[in-house]
Amino acid sequence: MDSLERLLKEYQLKNAEDHSRRHFLRNCTLGLGGIALGSLVHGCDRGVAQAPWYTPNRALNPLSVLPAPFAPKVKSVIYLHMVGAPSQLEMFDYKPELKKLHNQLCPDSLLEGKKFAFIRGRPTMLGPQANFVRAGQSGNWVSDYLPHFQKVVDEVAFLKAVKTDQFNHGPAQLLMHTGSPRFGRPSLGSWVTYGLGSENQNLPGFVVLSSGGTPDAGKSVWGSGFLPSVYQGVQCRSKGDPVLYLKDPKGIDRNLKKQLITAINDINFKTYAQQKDPEILTRINQYEMAYRMQLTVPEVMDINTEPEHIKELYGVAPGKESFANNCLLARKMVEQGVRFVQLYDWGWDSHGTDHSTAVDLGLRNKCREIDRPITALLMDLKQRGLLEETLVVWGGEFGRTPMQETREGKTMRYKGRDHHGEAFTMWMAGGGIKKGAVYGETDPIGYQSISGSVSVHDVQATILHLLGFDHETFTYDFQGRPFRLTDVHGSVIKQILA
Amino acid sequence: MKSKFSKPLLISVPIFLGLFLLLLYNNRPQTQIDFNAHVKPILNKHCINCHGGVKKNGGFSVLFASEAFQPTESGVPAIVKGDAKNSPLIQRLSAADPEERMPYKKPPLDAAEIKILSDWIDQGAEWGTHWAYIPPKKSELPKLNNKAAPSFEHFFQTHVDAFIAARMEDQNLTPNPPAPALTLARRVAFDLTGLPPNKELFEAYTNNRISYATYVDSLLNDTAYGEKWASWWLDLARYADTKGYEKDPGRSIWLYRDWVINALNQDLPYDQFTIDQLAGDLLPDPSPEQFIATGFHRNTMNNDEGGTSDEEFRTASVIDRVNTTFSVWQNTTMECVQCHSHPYDPFKHQEYYGLMAFFNNTRDEDTPDEAPNYRNYSKEDALKVEELLQWIKSYGTAAEYETFKDFLYFLEPKYQLHNCEDFTNGAMADGKWLALWDKGSAYLRNVDTQQSGSLYFNYFSRLNGTRMTLREKNASGRILAEFTINKSNGAIRRVPFKILEGKTDLYIETHNEGLAPQTTTSYLSWFAFLPNLPGADQKGYTKMQQRLNTLLNSPVDQTPILIENPPYMQRSTQLFERGNWQVKADTIPPHTPVYLNPWQEKWEKNRLGLAQWLVSEENPLTARTLVNRVWNQIFGIGLVPTIEDIGSQSTAPTHPALLDNLAVQFMTEFQWQLKPLIRQIVLSGTYRQSAAIDEEKLALDPENYLYVRGPKLRLTAEEIRDQALFVSGLMSRKMGGQGVMPPQPKGIWAHPYLGDLWKESKGEDRYRRAIYTYFKRTSPYPSLITFDAGSREVCLINRISTNTPLQALVTLNDPVYMEAALALAQQEENNPSPAVAIDNMYQKALYIKPDAATQTVLLDLYQQALRTYETRPEQLEQFLDRETPTQIKLAALTLVANAIMNLDAFLTHS
Repeated sequence: MDSLERLLKEYQLKNAEDHSRRHFLRNCTLGLGGIALGSLVHGCDRGVAQAPWYTPNRALNPLSVLPAPFAPKVKSVIYLHMVGAPSQLEMFDYKPELKKLHNQLCPDSLLEGKKFAFIRGRPTMLGPQANFVRAGQSGNWVSDYLPHFQKVVDEVAFLKAVKTDQFNHGPAQLLMHTGSPRFGRPSLGSWVTYGLGSENQNLPGFVVLSSGGTPDAGKSVWGSGFLPSVYQGVQCRSKGDPVLYLKDPKGIDRNLKKQLITAINDINFKTYAQQKDPEILTRINQYEMAYRMQLTVPEVMDINTEPEHIKELYGVAPGKESFANNCLLARKMVEQGVRFVQLYDWGWDSHGTDHSTAVDLGLRNKCREIDRPITALLMDLKQRGLLEETLVVWGGEFGRTPMQETREGKTMRYKGRDHHGEAFTMWMAGGGIKKGAVYGETDPIGYQSISGSVSVHDVQATILHLLGFDHETFTYDFQGRPFRLTDVHGSVIKQILA
Repeated sequence: MKSKFSKPLLISVPIFLGLFLLLLYNNRPQTQIDFNAHVKPILNKHCINCHGGVKKNGGFSVLFASEAFQPTESGVPAIVKGDAKNSPLIQRLSAADPEERMPYKKPPLDAAEIKILSDWIDQGAEWGTHWAYIPPKKSELPKLNNKAAPSFEHFFQTHVDAFIAARMEDQNLTPNPPAPALTLARRVAFDLTGLPPNKELFEAYTNNRISYATYVDSLLNDTAYGEKWASWWLDLARYADTKGYEKDPGRSIWLYRDWVINALNQDLPYDQFTIDQLAGDLLPDPSPEQFIATGFHRNTMNNDEGGTSDEEFRTASVIDRVNTTFSVWQNTTMECVQCHSHPYDPFKHQEYYGLMAFFNNTRDEDTPDEAPNYRNYSKEDALKVEELLQWIKSYGTAAEYETFKDFLYFLEPKYQLHNCEDFTNGAMADGKWLALWDKGSAYLRNVDTQQSGSLYFNYFSRLNGTRMTLREKNASGRILAEFTINKSNGAIRRVPFKILEGKTDLYIETHNEGLAPQTTTSYLSWFAFLPNLPGADQKGYTKMQQRLNTLLNSPVDQTPILIENPPYMQRSTQLFERGNWQVKADTIPPHTPVYLNPWQEKWEKNRLGLAQWLVSEENPLTARTLVNRVWNQIFGIGLVPTIEDIGSQSTAPTHPALLDNLAVQFMTEFQWQLKPLIRQIVLSGTYRQSAAIDEEKLALDPENYLYVRGPKLRLTAEEIRDQALFVSGLMSRKMGGQGVMPPQPKGIWAHPYLGDLWKESKGEDRYRRAIYTYFKRTSPYPSLITFDAGSREVCLINRISTNTPLQALVTLNDPVYMEAALALAQQEENNPSPAVAIDNMYQKALYIKPDAATQTVLLDLYQQALRTYETRPEQLEQFLDRETPTQIKLAALTLVANAIMNLDAFLTHS
């Protein structure tokens, strides 16, 4: 049994080391010697080689910071998801040929063997409804729906031929954010906070901000799946408490709350002294964090404290729920060390069933709602030096057809496009991204890719890569096997990396 | 201890146990090598990733014996039985050339591991079956040396303890002393009922008026038991009150939830519990409860999103049923096998589809009405149904009786019109309704009308005067039915139909001239073909015909259930290439994996047979899985610590003989009943130990794998809520019924199309047990989800218990918890002594008296609160938004109550 004993000794030594680093328990740092919080075998096999995500420190605070396994390019992510799938053909993917084919019957060759969500019968082609310009030094195409964005176009790298195999909103959103079209997997933000922790312990590590409504797939798109629930996204709301139950109950002021928490922690510490259950220390720590979070979150969520010119830059609407507010909040969060900020903006499902979903009407308004805030976000991050350590991702769950939608085989009054997953546009900006790059190209009508097709898993692999992970080794054991965000797929899109 | 990171810690368990075995082995020269104990762990750790399942690099695989001894791509087998030296496997493991040496580009095996493999080959390389696939056998109680040692006094209570003590002895460990009665009484009450004990029962036991065993029996007989254990089962069953996916609309399946609670309370044996849920509909003459029980597999999600393919999501549901069945009963992850043979466990690709074939023949087709539904008639209508059936029995054939009975109770079999094709002037509306225009037509192919004289269909229409014609085969075919559709908000209607032999394509056409172009005439969802009501020549026939029509259209509670396809509607099951449902290959008949128990001829090859196969005593996994899960519920850790998986990648059992003995006992002595099993576990000395942690023991056994202390678990999400309501006296013990909507913050449910639909419950429904809270998948009740309840989209085997600041915010600030604190304080409001009032509150909450130090802290908090409110009395006016100002003492006591209800001792069960 010699070697077992040696192993145990090493383990205890390691524990003692970790122990000396525990300085955050301000009132009770003494006498906690030799508590075994982590697993017994840090030194063995996968324990260290592939999953350095558990240390005794993490048991006390699951969001404590961990170094990325490889040199990261960015520290945090702001992911802007346009819920409903924005039309690439009115925004970034300029197709003059499609204009020429406007109103012509769609050739059978495009319809054979294809399945559409709503198009029935034989639709006509629908030319781009926006005008395009070559913007910036890069001369990349941007439509006149996004006049402001034209100014920052040189910051971003476009993926013009992203492909998904899901063409219904719910499953496609799940695939985009969890790597699987079915429920039960952790979301990208959960993986990242699990792997890296959070820089600011007074704020949630993974924040979700939505405008217009919840995504179709519900809260699972920021769920933690089989990871511990501490890694799920925390929805910060513009109305009511920014985080649920953040506000002190009426008639209990801050000072009283402090005394209350002190009393709870005092008694809990006494219980710890008797029972020696390390979980009690964790609880003490969590109550302190809760108290601090109650102060910090409202501060960060208050956009009124920002100077006027910043508010104007973004075009915020204080007191309301808006995408502009959320962009400004995203910057504030990232500035404060939040690891992953996920924005959802609802209302991009341009079927043409009414005014609001027509690609020449409602879509123009939606673009107006995001144009200035996104431009402001990139400029603001840049002027603060934050853009180099932040990754900004923009996209939807799929793209839209070059054909006009014919729901139930009927001609529709408004101009709309159906769901289309074969080739759509996303972009990324920030640290490690090749500025002004374009990767991927679609055919002259924007229907299919002709080069540079990338999958949803490729996009995910690239995001993880920029954060310092190898998506193939960043795994979590569940049901007897290692799981990863990208399942068994994905490769890093090197073409858009600096 | 149910630790916050039980999962990642588990990663280390196999390694730990592996090492442990290795060390044991090293100490014993030249022993007989056991494949499962020694060889398989090494193969799984180092080899199987590239040589097994999906990958068979070099043509070599160590997954099955048949593969391991075959010639590899090099032409010779890698393993030469009896000759390690000449086995390429061993040569490659110690090769000097890094291109040759295995594992390729990974650290080499250590000498001890190579020696095990060499010895194994030299000894004949006998392949073994993994322990998990050999049926459990009962073994003798282990012999103990130190049984009489003082530290084991009081420890031996049930046979469980002998097995636990034996492992402790091996490691020179001793158990903790028994927990004090006050502590144990609260712990076991939570484990059995999910609630703190009621006062009388608690006092009877703690004052020694009744024994611990009697106390336990009383708790097991409390109906709260079923409500507590139902949470565990409903996680596995992925029960929710909504359909999931996009809009996540409501679903009425709460009768299934109530069925589970009742079944547990009645201690329905687990074999019957299994059969009823998987195949209740296939039993001879099923009771209404047995139909409802099949709701288990109707808890799969239903996708109503516009533009989705119903067949795709029907298939997704069937796949979920296979996976869930195997996760729940066999502790095996079958997802892998959907796309390829299992990488670790001995299950082959086609065996997945063999299992799928059992589930692939139910009537449900992802339609928005969730058909088939069990129709729960009102008492009055139920009598009319019986009378009508009596009529049919008297004048019709036995077959007709069965047909009408089925149709009256669940409207099956019917053809869903979403399968229509080749539309002219029309389409499926939103993929859900057949919507034809004037001069519209469509085909419904391959219909067997069973020589029926009546067509029933479901429809609605905003227009009058649509002429619908159904023809045989095509546009020029014989007219089978012709009728007019007028305005209706929705109805089931009967029309006469020409008798037809065999299968045909139905051509459906509509005419309604003068409508604006592309106007939909009517919306139809299904056709059903039934014989004419028998007894046409009898007096009262017209009345009976009318009654049938009325009953079919009467409003009823509907619960989704499983109903099997009749023979003429059977689907064949094909293997999906690489798991892609659109790429179908060979047809696969229903069959079970060969590695598990043999199929008995007496079983029918359907879901019922499959359920019987699962609960056969020969099945190696069913009882072990159940016993392990129950143990895990009570100790927060399983005898096989990987609760999600028992198989070659799972950890070895910490106490294999105990696991097997309990499994056998469960099947035989306990007759598959849960209560005696749970009783035996909580009566054990192992369970009754104090949970206090001894630092030396903690260092030796941090996860408590050897049970050197009693369990201390954080209360579950449901228990946390229920306890607050219970100790404050607010709780309603009303059982069953539709999900309730207790207060939650505004805007949680806001949906772009649907708005905020949370209708706050009134009266006692605000204070029901958490199990009755309406469960919306995309937006579960916030405080429950914060305390680690799942979202019930898929089967959840184990909740990971976490400890987060957001939880603290719930119990500190959620109005529900403040209301409970206030209610607790109100009980002591008139107590003249604050110290006594605080003591009483503490005791009501925690069932013990506070110690002096705790008293001081709480009294200090009380005084601080008084001082604050004296200086800032305006806070009393707004205190908790009550209608009238709060008395200063009550406010201060409420604060203290809130402190008590946030203590670690309150939030945990020991």
